[in-house]
Amino acid sequence: MYYGYTGTILRVNLTHGEVTKEALDLKMAEEFVGGRGLASRLLCAEIDPEIEAMSPENPLIFGTGPLTGTGAPATARYVVVCKAPLTGTIACSNSGGFFGPEIKFAGYDALIIEGESPEPVYLWIQDDRVEIRSASLLWGKTPVETESTLQKLTHPASKIACIGPGGEKLSLMAGIVNDNYRLAARSGVGALMGKKKLKAIAIRGTGGVNLADPEQFWKASMDMHAKITGDPVSFGSFRAYGTASLVNLINEMGAYPTRNFQSDTFEDAVKTGGEAITEDILERNRACFACPISCTRVTEVKEGPYKGRGEGPEYESTWSLGALCGVSNLEAVAKANYLCGDYGIDTISTGATIACAMELFETGALSEKEIGFPLRFGDEAAMVRAVEMTGKREGFGDILADGSYRLAERYGHPEFFMGVKKLEMSAYSPRVFQGMALQYATSNRGACHVRGNTVAAELYGIPRYMPPEVLEQKEEMVRRPFQNSTAFVDSTGICLFTKFAITHREICALLAPATGIDFNFDRSIVQGDRIWNLERMFNLRAGFTAADDKLPARVSEPSPDGPRAGSRAILQNHIQTYYQLRGWDEEGRPTRSKLKELNLEDFWNVCSEHD
Amino acid sequence: MINVTVKLSADLRRYRPALRIDESLPLSVPEETTLLELLSEILQIPAHAIAIPIVNGVKCKLNQKLVEGDRVAFWPPMAGG
Repeated sequence: MYYGYTGTILRVNLTHGEVTKEALDLKMAEEFVGGRGLASRLLCAEIDPEIEAMSPENPLIFGTGPLTGTGAPATARYVVVCKAPLTGTIACSNSGGFFGPEIKFAGYDALIIEGESPEPVYLWIQDDRVEIRSASLLWGKTPVETESTLQKLTHPASKIACIGPGGEKLSLMAGIVNDNYRLAARSGVGALMGKKKLKAIAIRGTGGVNLADPEQFWKASMDMHAKITGDPVSFGSFRAYGTASLVNLINEMGAYPTRNFQSDTFEDAVKTGGEAITEDILERNRACFACPISCTRVTEVKEGPYKGRGEGPEYESTWSLGALCGVSNLEAVAKANYLCGDYGIDTISTGATIACAMELFETGALSEKEIGFPLRFGDEAAMVRAVEMTGKREGFGDILADGSYRLAERYGHPEFFMGVKKLEMSAYSPRVFQGMALQYATSNRGACHVRGNTVAAELYGIPRYMPPEVLEQKEEMVRRPFQNSTAFVDSTGICLFTKFAITHREICALLAPATGIDFNFDRSIVQGDRIWNLERMFNLRAGFTAADDKLPARVSEPSPDGPRAGSRAILQNHIQTYYQLRGWDEEGRPTRSKLKELNLEDFWNVCSEHD
Repeated sequence: MINVTVKLSADLRRYRPALRIDESLPLSVPEETTLLELLSEILQIPAHAIAIPIVNGVKCKLNQKLVEGDRVAFWPPMAGG
């Protein structure tokens, strides 16, 4: 009998049309928790990281955490892990909604999808019955169309994860969409699903999640619920204004990257912020499975050229499609965001790639003839048109669809790529937030705000306030309470957004009675560290080196204007200090003793020779 | 007297509902006024409603004294993604 975990991993080989079931290795689960950690560990057993990301050898792993689907607050998360098509790093994208819990209800901790189907297919998983079915009628459909069609073909209550036309056309910015609008967005996981010709997974589960000590679990769950609903952040601004409530705050600080990071202040930020979204286009809030926060915004642009309906835009999306492109028309930003959903492509990478194209156009590196129309900063109609072309891979969109790194290289201006390890940065300027500068540079999936969002400490004061410009002790802050901690939280199945109200202690107070395993605070620190180091080793083995832990040159130049004019990202000495604190050598490789400490020494020989 | 501007964001806007979201409140206040005095005596907003006071783009403490031309912006507790 398994508790918390279901004990079963489903393996589907699309090349041979085979379905098998394997028992979960509980010792492995104990070491890597679940979700991000366990799926990454499973990936490392499946492949050599040197393989091509878009090859049949690269499996797509859907993972859940031991808390996913338990019904404790915000336990909706699932992850998608593979070698990333966009970046070549290890990928772990995650999403909420209701799909993750349904994987558990059907009886699985993880799904390993391997091989490639010759024709479009979808998976229909009904508890222990698994079928690979033709998806020829679904190919080309948007996620919303796919979900409604599949619920007719399978079960009205099936939960669906699928790719949109962007994934089908192998856009390296494609994500995987579940519950109509939610995206496991980054790193191009949807491109790999498209390569496998797997249009969708429909799941119907009628089971539940066994709990080792239900009484203790529900007590801890109610305690956590009280903490979240009593918290002014989780239950205040998130509910009232969504994640985009941050727009005006970050802009007021002069830390809101604008026009492809040429500036850090957007003069029209207020027009695309959370307050404007709430007043102009919000219909209502929506919550993921068992979540009291309900930060999702159901929105509608009722009329005009940008008419549409969907969810969001979230903070990052209103930024990438707004300020980063110099666009201040909220309806156009909302429309571009809806289109990204329809095509199933990542809003951050899409907006950032269009912003990069705008800079290439304005500097003359890209001509109107090549694009088909002028693509200037601030031109909202051109931005929306570019999103549509990207999703369809139509005309110049065929080039945009592979992200800004490849775009900037192709047109001879690699310096216009604003990212790290081929992944575009997010909406916190590393010139201002020094913690984010180090985090972007060292994050295992490339520049990313959810691998360790140090803005929590550098602005909101969670867990304690460290001014953004201060450099001292930032290395340790980035390493432990942010990167390692996030790796742990992402592995449990609980949403990262609870972390403003709770700590590992509350999460462990759920994990232990859920699983019957001694999950505790001290072990969670080691587990987070272990997961981070495993991801690092994957990347080293895939060919990344210390030279890849670097920021774009532009952010090391002083910010030109705004309240933080003159500030710049300072990395030089911090990287070495960070490596030392991590127990890595000067080349950023985990030492043998570090790997031994984390029980990872059986992995590839990526440590330094002299260690 | 010195001149400053004040912005209220997110749910702090309930204290000045007539203020547009892109509007700042221009105020003349006595010299040496602190942020706390600005809140409690002039704006009549409880200090506990404020988590993030920002003056000229920099987060500061409520005992900071205002100077001519300061751009003040108040935020309730918030965080995000």
